[in-house]
Amino acid sequence: MIIPIGMVLGLSAVLFGIGVFGFLARRNIILMLISVEVMLNAVNLSLAGFSQYLSDIRGQILALFVIAVAAAEAGVGLGLVIALNRNKPGAAVADLTKLKW
Amino acid sequence: MLWVLALFLHVAGIFLLLGAEFLAAVQVIVYAGAILIFYLFVVMLLDLRDEISRPRFGTHWPLAAAVGLCFAAVALLVRTDRLASAGTVPAGGASHQGSLAAIGMALFGPYTLPFEIASLVLLAAIIGAVVLARRTAGS
Repeated sequence: MIIPIGMVLGLSAVLFGIGVFGFLARRNIILMLISVEVMLNAVNLSLAGFSQYLSDIRGQILALFVIAVAAAEAGVGLGLVIALNRNKPGAAVADLTKLKW
Repeated sequence: MLWVLALFLHVAGIFLLLGAEFLAAVQVIVYAGAILIFYLFVVMLLDLRDEISRPRFGTHWPLAAAVGLCFAAVALLVRTDRLASAGTVPAGGASHQGSLAAIGMALFGPYTLPFEIASLVLLAAIIGAVVLARRTAGS
């Protein structure tokens, strides 16, 4: 079964837009990181779509590397959240004004 | 968080439909199995009790919605311009053998160095996360 590439790219574009909206509009730093994961998932989707469209395995390889980097990003990001929470309880980004001059 | 799990599982299903079985398995195991559980652990540890009563989005959310819509619209326009006139799917080179075997041969063949660098990135992320989240002696 062949899915047309246009539909996959359309879904990927919509998913990326949702991720951008979530990253910009959310007030909670954990949900902002989740939105980054949504954006990375959208990119993975379009990479897999191109991989099928071009019958090339390299798209899937690149998507695997994106997943590895996403896992690393989640680890470091949540470590940062824990370190921030130790200094100032709560997860609202509007409260993080310590580095403001 | 439950909806993020639903999203990850649906993306895994689309990977299956696209013929990327290994990617679908990695999606379920790494995203739904590891990353989401990690997020849930942090949510559990932080004890954000007053977060429920506060508004979900900031006051600037219409601007954010406009930016997101612009991103999606630009991507959709590029898609229809460039790929609508593209021809049929070219005949597959690696489609006769399994997707998993092809990925394995590629990962340990021409892509060995990026594979090792990815493992190094993960190692650095592990050490960085431990250093960041460790309780220092002063506090």
